[in-house]
Amino acid sequence: MPGPLEYVLWFLCTPFEVLALVCAIKKKAITRYFFLNLYIVASLVASLGRYQILHRYGINSMEYVYFYYYSDALLTICLFFALMSLYSYVFAELNAERYVRLGALFLLSGTALFSYSVVQQSSSKLVTHFVVELSQNLYFVGLVLTYLLWGSIMKLRETRTRLIHMVLSLGVYFSLFAATYALRNLYPTMSSMLQALPPLIACFLPGAWAYAFWKVPEEARTVPARLATVPR
Amino acid sequence: MSRRLTVVLLAMLVLVGAMSLKTVVVTHSDGSVIMANGGGPVPPTPWKNGGGPVPPTPWK
Repeated sequence: MPGPLEYVLWFLCTPFEVLALVCAIKKKAITRYFFLNLYIVASLVASLGRYQILHRYGINSMEYVYFYYYSDALLTICLFFALMSLYSYVFAELNAERYVRLGALFLLSGTALFSYSVVQQSSSKLVTHFVVELSQNLYFVGLVLTYLLWGSIMKLRETRTRLIHMVLSLGVYFSLFAATYALRNLYPTMSSMLQALPPLIACFLPGAWAYAFWKVPEEARTVPARLATVPR
Repeated sequence: MSRRLTVVLLAMLVLVGAMSLKTVVVTHSDGSVIMANGGGPVPPTPWKNGGGPVPPTPWK
């Protein structure tokens, strides 16, 4: 069973998630950013469910193992849809929502097919292998998509501050996880210390979204810096 | 029609890029990205959503 510090780190995220939801409700952004809020709700429910099952059955129980990995896959899918909804907002002025939906559907099916092709040789627990593989692959797809979205924001000169905040926080979130992972591989001796970082990083996303909902009005505008300075 | 094909092509490029990135990361990692089959403790993966300690893989 995890120690008190692990419990504290784990549930540090919950107040941020609740805060993000409260801010979204207060600022009437629940429906506008539906998939982002859906992800926060799903994360909250998953955390509470994991706690319940861990408390009842223990960390080595099959109940906890299955719940953990399946809920993780569902959360990754929710995060993927949240990211695709941000794509829809960015490309809304180009009337390209239809194409964003098509691309999202194609990417999700492609990732699922690729994951299946990777795990189809597994002799047992094919579905569980598939779920974990899909979750991992979608993470990488999300990482690439977030950077592409930021590139599109710069290229299209997107000015909606709240949207820019959302995309940037997602980029920082993915990047921090990747950096922690890289550090763990580079310095295996620091692995135990670095294990405390993911729960802290997990707090960042709902915290940043709460800030964006609360402090940044929908009509606020920012002009991103140009990609290159052109001499006169 | 050509726009749809462009979208499909872009999606395929993203998929190829993401899977290539994953392959590179897996190749140069200690194997913790793929929750390794067989024995041994499973190290935590970097992209876990939400909280909770990482349990062992269910297919040991």
